[in-house]
Amino acid sequence: MAVAVVVFSIDKTRGNLLLKILESGALKAKLIKTVFDLERMVSKHAPSIIVFDSKYHFSKNYTIVGSLRSKLPKSAIIVLCEPYTEHIFTDMGIRADMCMADPLDPELILAKVREVYFIKNKLYLRFTTFLSILYNLFSGDTKNPYLSFVKKVLLIFALIASLTIGGAGGFILWSISDLPKVKLLEEYTPLESSRIFSTNGEFLAEVFVERRRFVPSYKIPEHVKKAFIAVEDVRFYKHFGVDFQRVVKAFIENMRAGTIVQGGSTITQQLAKMLFLKPEKSLSRKIKEIAIAFQIEGRYTKDEILSLYLNQAYFGSRTYGIEAASSTYFGKKTEDLTVAEAALLAAIPKAPSTYSPFKEPQRSLSRRNTVIRLMYENGFISESKYKEAVAEPIPKHLESPSYKAPYFVEYIKGVLEQKYGESLYTSGLKIYTTLDMNMQKVAEKAVENAMEAFATRGIKGVQTALLAVEIKTGEIKAMVGGTDFWETQFNRATQAMRQPGSSFKPFVYLAAFRNGYKPSDTVEDREVTYFQKKGEPWTPHNYTRRYYGTVTLKSAIARSLNVATVSLANKVGMERVVESARLLGIKSVIRPRLPSALGASEVNLLELVCAYCAFSDGNLHEPVSYTQIVNRYGLAVENITPVIKPVLDNTTLEKMHEVLSAVVTEGTAQSAKSLNRVVYGKTGTTDDYVDAWFIGFDDKYAVGVWVGRDDHTSIGEGEAGSKAALPIWIDFMKNVVR
Amino acid sequence: MAEISDSVKLMDTGKRNASERDRQTENSQLVGPAGLDIGTSNIVLAKMRSGAVQTVKQLNAFFAVPRSKFTGKVFAKNEIMYFARNGQFYIIGNSSDMFAATFNSSTRRPIEGGLLSPKEDEGVNVIAAIMKTMLPPPKKPGEVIAFSVPGEPVDTRISVLYHETVMKRTLEGMGYFPISVNEGLAVITAELSNDNYTGIGISMGGGMCNVCLAYMAVPILSYSIQKGGDYIDSMVGRTLGESQTKIKLIKEKELSLTREPRNRVETALQIFYDDLLLHLTQSLEQVLASSDKVPRFAKPVPLVISGGGALANGLKERFERALKNVSLPVQISSVRIAEDPLNSTAKGALYMALSEES
Repeated sequence: MAVAVVVFSIDKTRGNLLLKILESGALKAKLIKTVFDLERMVSKHAPSIIVFDSKYHFSKNYTIVGSLRSKLPKSAIIVLCEPYTEHIFTDMGIRADMCMADPLDPELILAKVREVYFIKNKLYLRFTTFLSILYNLFSGDTKNPYLSFVKKVLLIFALIASLTIGGAGGFILWSISDLPKVKLLEEYTPLESSRIFSTNGEFLAEVFVERRRFVPSYKIPEHVKKAFIAVEDVRFYKHFGVDFQRVVKAFIENMRAGTIVQGGSTITQQLAKMLFLKPEKSLSRKIKEIAIAFQIEGRYTKDEILSLYLNQAYFGSRTYGIEAASSTYFGKKTEDLTVAEAALLAAIPKAPSTYSPFKEPQRSLSRRNTVIRLMYENGFISESKYKEAVAEPIPKHLESPSYKAPYFVEYIKGVLEQKYGESLYTSGLKIYTTLDMNMQKVAEKAVENAMEAFATRGIKGVQTALLAVEIKTGEIKAMVGGTDFWETQFNRATQAMRQPGSSFKPFVYLAAFRNGYKPSDTVEDREVTYFQKKGEPWTPHNYTRRYYGTVTLKSAIARSLNVATVSLANKVGMERVVESARLLGIKSVIRPRLPSALGASEVNLLELVCAYCAFSDGNLHEPVSYTQIVNRYGLAVENITPVIKPVLDNTTLEKMHEVLSAVVTEGTAQSAKSLNRVVYGKTGTTDDYVDAWFIGFDDKYAVGVWVGRDDHTSIGEGEAGSKAALPIWIDFMKNVVR
Repeated sequence: MAEISDSVKLMDTGKRNASERDRQTENSQLVGPAGLDIGTSNIVLAKMRSGAVQTVKQLNAFFAVPRSKFTGKVFAKNEIMYFARNGQFYIIGNSSDMFAATFNSSTRRPIEGGLLSPKEDEGVNVIAAIMKTMLPPPKKPGEVIAFSVPGEPVDTRISVLYHETVMKRTLEGMGYFPISVNEGLAVITAELSNDNYTGIGISMGGGMCNVCLAYMAVPILSYSIQKGGDYIDSMVGRTLGESQTKIKLIKEKELSLTREPRNRVETALQIFYDDLLLHLTQSLEQVLASSDKVPRFAKPVPLVISGGGALANGLKERFERALKNVSLPVQISSVRIAEDPLNSTAKGALYMALSEES
């Protein structure tokens, strides 16, 4: 490194004195004693400063100063001279303040050299000077009282500073010791709503903990991003996670206001807080927030950060993320938002409740307009766009989505919860169900019509459940769990355990057919008293109180003869009846007693309908409510293939078809003939018309209808299955688009 | 330079007394750079030992007697330091004083007026011999030794160059790397470390007074006057018809400049002390005023006095009084007496040697 300061003096004492003076100011200098050496020196290096001591130097040789000036235009020359020779140097162009007359004043000389030195020298020279000063302070002259004093002061400062820094550093280290791993963001999976669709792809419902739909960055329009940047963090693209300029500004503003009027958090900091930290207000949390913000900035692009932020932010009304917010507030997708809409959404996250357009329209409007103004001021939008945006009204009501097939949705939620647990509400799944919205509408309409019909008969407060299952697959195509979901969410199709009445009888006949009986075989329809195991007598009666003596099995079921059926059950054995019911998928407890043959054991509509599917094709059907589940990345996580298990042989099946057909053609369900096609089924009525059923099927669907009251009181006199339930079934079957 | 033909006999090894043995042991342990004050009266050696400065002193004097076997035996018996040369026994250092006292005579000085005495042919050899008794051979060749030299006298035309060069060569011959240090500067180095080595140092020795003005250890100017303790003793002795040795004894033991003189010796001593101080301060005024090298001092500088002359009780006040009668271009903040006046020059020289070494 070149010597920065050169002292030229032909007098040894003065030269040494000058060196010492400079050394005391921590400036390393080289002493040159002859003109020859001086010229040689400057030809090799250009020193920053030449202290030229003209004392004892012949005045005719002063010209060397002029020569130095021209050779080294960048070097400063300080001349030490006699008062009377000063003018010679000033005439040469040396500034008067660079001429220092005798006697030598060490302090002035040092001050001058240091002044020039610090002005002229490069950073590293200054740095070495400071190092040298420090070195001299601590390792140099140990006995100088002034240095000792300065040393003490510095040591005290250093001690305080090191304690403060150490303490602060320790606190910071402690704070960031349990820092969450930002790397986890690479697997960023926000709590995203799951959505349920019908088999036709129609949206049924959204299930969520946080209502959120992820939207990728490229689908977020630029003006939406700019709206948030304008209001939250205008220097977003300029800082590295923490905007110190803004922090200082906010600090000044807050000090002026005496309260917190301005925050200093950047979008990245807010993201760090939202993703990894609890919403507590503490210094430790703030340090973590800053540390994470730096990490996020180091790992992700600005666009990625903004996108993460927009997908994570809370917009009130249990709505998280820009996409869900767009839907909630405007009923549209993010990509369709206008400038004013984007500005409104940008206005909300600061205080979702305060700036809610529904709760605080005035405040919301004012802040929205502030956002629009900021967008304009920052050059994000044109003046015309600005004027257009401020003129736009704010929304007045929530765009609440209307849920369709609510009973079914609740049912499938129950089914999926068992499998997916909490993640059902947070994983952003798309659930494609088996529900056919057309059939559902027909079902709902049929129930509605029935309600009207009941009303005309003076019957009120009854509930109806309808369930349609596709026979081939076991897929639930329509489900009505009650007359009004919003009034009562109890699903009578899946949750209500009711006595099936005569609709259970086919299981008795199935047991008989499986044990060699034929529809043409006979059974006695005479009043008989049976004694239960406990010795209690039980005498079943026919619904009409008429008894037909010896009747065929076909006739007995067609007419729904209780006595004949009990007689048959008694012959076949209730164990076999129960076994047959189990074979077809009845899971409810069927007591192996004769009254169960008449449907005294409670079942639910769903299992009954599925079992009737087996009467149709001989196969066991587990109910299927969805066909496919797709995760947030569009990958199918589950595809349902119906498991078909043959349980009935063709002979038995034919026999069942024969008898169940007879119910329609010649028995209790003759009104179904109006459908003008082959249908099968069985009515069911429990004592006192508490439950009315009709479970039937054609070649494609098995459909069950239940009518009753939740409090197990009578529907109404004469409201048997054929009267109360069958019309609904017929209505549905008639209107289903086949 | 004449070589010392015989080695110095530092007394009979078998008969050394305990204190001498200890001293020699101490000397042998003194390692590293050394500082040497070659004064008119004493030669003082300073060395570092266990982190502290340790000094050893020998009278810079000798006594010559004709060489004979008998005398040699007597010397051996009486543990006398001597060397033989040219048919003479040269009793040196402290031993010479003891011997002179024994024989009721006076010692001779190899140095007079601060410089090698022109009267003594064997002066250099005597000094070399004394130094050998104090200085062990260097552990490694070229060990630094700083020795004091007077400033150029302003009141005579004698140059210190001869003295300085001869001393340097003597020390080189002993295997050292000698550097000369102005005596006044050595005092500053020893005493004014807390003042950033800035101030005036005065060494009032036997033969001369050495003065140095330094700025941050850079000697701006230095000079000497050939008046010192010996001048006072000699003038008082001559004036009062008393022996110089007696006057010296009274001066060192009884004189106090703070009180009124109790007898004519004290009166004369005070008069010649004042004369010396007047001469010293006037010379200071003249030298400083005539020098164009004196820088501008931002604040008053201290003045420190050392040497045997500084031992007199009340010297500080006398000097302050004398200073008031002169006008110096440099303001004096305080007049101080060196902490250890007899050793401060050697100490200062040691510090210089140490800084040279590092």
